[in-house]
Amino acid sequence: MELFQRDRLSELVEELTTSGQPQLNQDKMKEIKKICKVSSDYIDHVYHSVMSQLNRDHAEIRLSAFQIANELFSRSHYFRVLLVDNFQEFLELTVETDSEQPLPPPKEVARKLRSLAIQTIQSWQSSYGVAYKKLALGYHFLKQVKKVDFQDAEARTIAERRREEERRRRMETIYKEIVETASNDMEESFQEIEATLTEMESCMRLLFPEFDLTNIQFAKTRSPNSQSANECSSADEQPCCSKDLMDNRRERMIQDREEKQSNVAEEGGTENNGTIKYLINLSETEDNEAVVSTLIDLRRLMKTKHLPAVQGWVKVFTKSGAEQQLLKALDLKSSLEAALEKHRELHIDYKKRVRKVMKASSDGEDDTDYDDFDEVPEKEGYEPHIPECLRAEYGLDPSPSTSTAPVITKAPAKRPASPTSLFSYSSAKQLKRLTEEEQDPTCAAATLHLLRQKLPMPASQTSCLSSHSCQSTSCQNTNDAPVVPFGLDLYYWDQEQPNSGKIIKLASQHQFWAHAQVEEEEVENKELLAESRSRYISFPGRFTPVSHYCRAPLGNGTLCQRQDRYKCPFHGRIIPRNDEGRPLSEEDRLREEQESRKKREEQNDWRDAELMRDIEAATGEYLGSDRVAKKGKGKKKKYSNLSDLKQNANTSRSRLEKKVFNKTTMSRVAQVMNKADKRKHDKFSNQFNYALN
Amino acid sequence: MLGFLTARQAGLDDPLRMRRVESTRRVLSLKLNPDRDVDRVHGNGINTIDIETIEGRYMLTGGADGVIVIYDLENFSGTPQYTCKAVCTVGRSSQHVHKFSVETVQWYPYDTGMFVSSSFDKTMKVWDTETLKPAEVFEFEGNVYSHHLSPIARKHSLIAVGTKIPKIQLCDLKSGSRIHVLQGHKAEVLSVRWSPRYEHILASASADSKVKVWDVRRASSSLLTLDQHNGDKSKASSEAVNTAHNGRVNGLCFTGDGLHLLTTGTDDRMRLWNSATGENTLVNYGKVCNESRKKLQFTVTCGCSPEFVFVPCGSSVAMYALHTGKLVTMLKGHYNNIDCCEFHPDYQELYSGGKDCNILAWVPVLRSPDVEVESNSADKVKKKDSRSSSGLKEHDYIS
Repeated sequence: MELFQRDRLSELVEELTTSGQPQLNQDKMKEIKKICKVSSDYIDHVYHSVMSQLNRDHAEIRLSAFQIANELFSRSHYFRVLLVDNFQEFLELTVETDSEQPLPPPKEVARKLRSLAIQTIQSWQSSYGVAYKKLALGYHFLKQVKKVDFQDAEARTIAERRREEERRRRMETIYKEIVETASNDMEESFQEIEATLTEMESCMRLLFPEFDLTNIQFAKTRSPNSQSANECSSADEQPCCSKDLMDNRRERMIQDREEKQSNVAEEGGTENNGTIKYLINLSETEDNEAVVSTLIDLRRLMKTKHLPAVQGWVKVFTKSGAEQQLLKALDLKSSLEAALEKHRELHIDYKKRVRKVMKASSDGEDDTDYDDFDEVPEKEGYEPHIPECLRAEYGLDPSPSTSTAPVITKAPAKRPASPTSLFSYSSAKQLKRLTEEEQDPTCAAATLHLLRQKLPMPASQTSCLSSHSCQSTSCQNTNDAPVVPFGLDLYYWDQEQPNSGKIIKLASQHQFWAHAQVEEEEVENKELLAESRSRYISFPGRFTPVSHYCRAPLGNGTLCQRQDRYKCPFHGRIIPRNDEGRPLSEEDRLREEQESRKKREEQNDWRDAELMRDIEAATGEYLGSDRVAKKGKGKKKKYSNLSDLKQNANTSRSRLEKKVFNKTTMSRVAQVMNKADKRKHDKFSNQFNYALN
Repeated sequence: MLGFLTARQAGLDDPLRMRRVESTRRVLSLKLNPDRDVDRVHGNGINTIDIETIEGRYMLTGGADGVIVIYDLENFSGTPQYTCKAVCTVGRSSQHVHKFSVETVQWYPYDTGMFVSSSFDKTMKVWDTETLKPAEVFEFEGNVYSHHLSPIARKHSLIAVGTKIPKIQLCDLKSGSRIHVLQGHKAEVLSVRWSPRYEHILASASADSKVKVWDVRRASSSLLTLDQHNGDKSKASSEAVNTAHNGRVNGLCFTGDGLHLLTTGTDDRMRLWNSATGENTLVNYGKVCNESRKKLQFTVTCGCSPEFVFVPCGSSVAMYALHTGKLVTMLKGHYNNIDCCEFHPDYQELYSGGKDCNILAWVPVLRSPDVEVESNSADKVKKKDSRSSSGLKEHDYIS
């Protein structure tokens, strides 16, 4: 036997088994056969190398080795003798006859190997079983003891089948339980959901009679002008008790619509072309407030409670295949969704709900639908800061007052609210509400009203209730007036503060007991005095919003949209750039190029040389794949073709484990704990309580 | 061979000499042979095998499902191909069958008309071979691990029974009653064996890792307790005094001449003792894998010039030279653990049974013909079978 041939054989077997391919490379296999033809010594050698490969803990290696064995088994008697002689081990390694030696991962390949091995052994048995006794014995062993069903496509053993069966049964019982609880739940809450649905339906009916999906579609085809007529005709069908009510509402609606006519008309024009949907818009008014709020509550109930529950049931029933309950749940779900959809179609124009408590807006409310539906905490009476947007609501002048001018009145009960012209309302409704609120003594408006009556205001301010000229002058004044937090200095404005800056020292140290003759000693403290008279006003400067963008080119081809004032956290100082994101000045451009080059060199590690080479081949542009490849060469794995067994072991858990159960860490922790323990022990060793632990 | 024959004819050699040489050669060439099969009757593991000594024709096997089968080993067909037929069976359908696993079966040493079986169903049955009905049933308090009839006894017909109860029971076939109890062990008795040399000498192996030798005429206590350290106190710890092994002793076998006793234990050791003095001969057999929690049945050759011992060792049978402890070969053929093996002294064949439900016959390979019969390449395919059987190590490439 020549050494060269021998080495070549080992090399070939190694290459074939570590290729990771499901099929063998036929050229290499042919070469093996050719060498084996020469002498039985080579067969011996191949047999041993195949067996050693079969012993490796990788299913792909084993599969390939098994395929080699199969090829040679049908060709050489000597190989058959060798293999059959060690058939127990062979079966253990390929068919998993020993339950303590399971086939190695990856699982898919292992299963494939098993079924292939079982099929192959059957074919071997049918062709060589007579001549090789151990082969026949092994076949019978598989068939009778391991109960391998050779007809079974998956070639499972009886134990596996039983396990599978058991698992299925267990899952079934679990599913049954889940389905039972879910259907019970459904039965219980079915009534409630139905009630909610009918309630919602009737609410919507009240709000918008004849609101129906068909109606909408019908309405779509018509111009808005004709719709009112259509509705009038439908009024006859209403029950007479609600008729006048309806009529009322309808009248108003028609009015509304006529008001809106101007802007809707444009929509209507295009609508006839069939491109734009006609929008129904309901606005909340005093009349329908109660109905609308009920509707909102119902909607929330549906969205947050019923719909998730129903979806959960649907999921459960689909998984477990409970047909009847699934149908019921689906019905419920579709009706809920239809109701919600209907509600959306209404496009109710909500009034701002001021009296909502913050907590009510907890969850489930998607703000995308109702942006105008703000929930604001209840605010009454005195407020030092009023957001500009809400000033109108509080009956305050909308103009901001940020400058610092002490125009504050000197009344004993001071309100730092700027002296304002109260009536700058946009609508008559608000005026009406304000007058209502003035009756309410707890309102800010009431206080202001009182003030206005009490104070001898400048004539220019008080007399002009609704004149615009007066308003403008007051605006000029209040523009300079500052809003400052109330303090002692304001309280004693222009007065001597009685005992400011004085510290009273009591002779007696006792809490209650003191001498009858008060021997109080007063110490004057200049600093305190100055403090009580002075006021800190921080000057933050004027905020000017940033109007420029970073505009550095990003990886996806767009420009960076960050609006930082001076420096972008990702792209550094903000410099003027052109439309492509290139810096305008030459030095900036140079600097940027340099940086990018440096970065590219640093990032070489993760670059895939092969991918780069592909890209280079495709584009014809040199990207520097050689350099990358050279760098990565040192770390390359031995068998790159086999699937990596450790890959799936790379979970967060394993990574953490690596850190936590690191040997040095463990020893360090143990040392520290021992030390702590020892210290305690040294200290308390004579006390039985501590002696034991 | 021819030389031995002529020497024998000329009267130069002792007649035993040729026989010894030939049987040794045959034992050394034991192989799994496609010519010899044993019918698959057992659907479960095989726990015990016994071959009768009168004719050497019938083999008795006991299975883990309580089934007892009698095989005919004799080949009258004139061809080398032979499948041992099952003559009769005590199957699961029989009303007398053992309920649980049969642990020991044994022929009555003087006649094939009777055999004795014991089982985990706490009974021992004495069977009539003709009718396959129990003539006598002995019941015990614990599982019966082992029983043995003396192969040479003329003055008594006692069956020694080792059960889960530490006392060894002696049952008399004459009276059909349990006449005697031997006390001394502290745990279940896994194996009992009568000496083939002295009819009143009995050896017993127990899970308390002790092996005791008894004289049944002296009821008070045992004759000997075998000590693995030969009484050397310095080597033994206090608990290990007078122990034969460092684990359960589950195998016991006298040599053919009764001068030596072999024991195996779960400490993966096999020990050879001088049965007269109880001395450990300190033969080192190396590691003999042994995980069995029950009785292990192993056997010794008889009539070879160095004697050999066959011990089940995992899924193969290990063959050792008895007095040197040298491992001769491993007989691989079973696919699961082997529980028992029995040597056929007349034909130098070995029968082994294991948990893979197979009974394998290990038959000596025929001496290859001295003159190669040349065959033309045309019927090479046909020859494949015969060549594989004759052990020719040629490779062939058909395509």
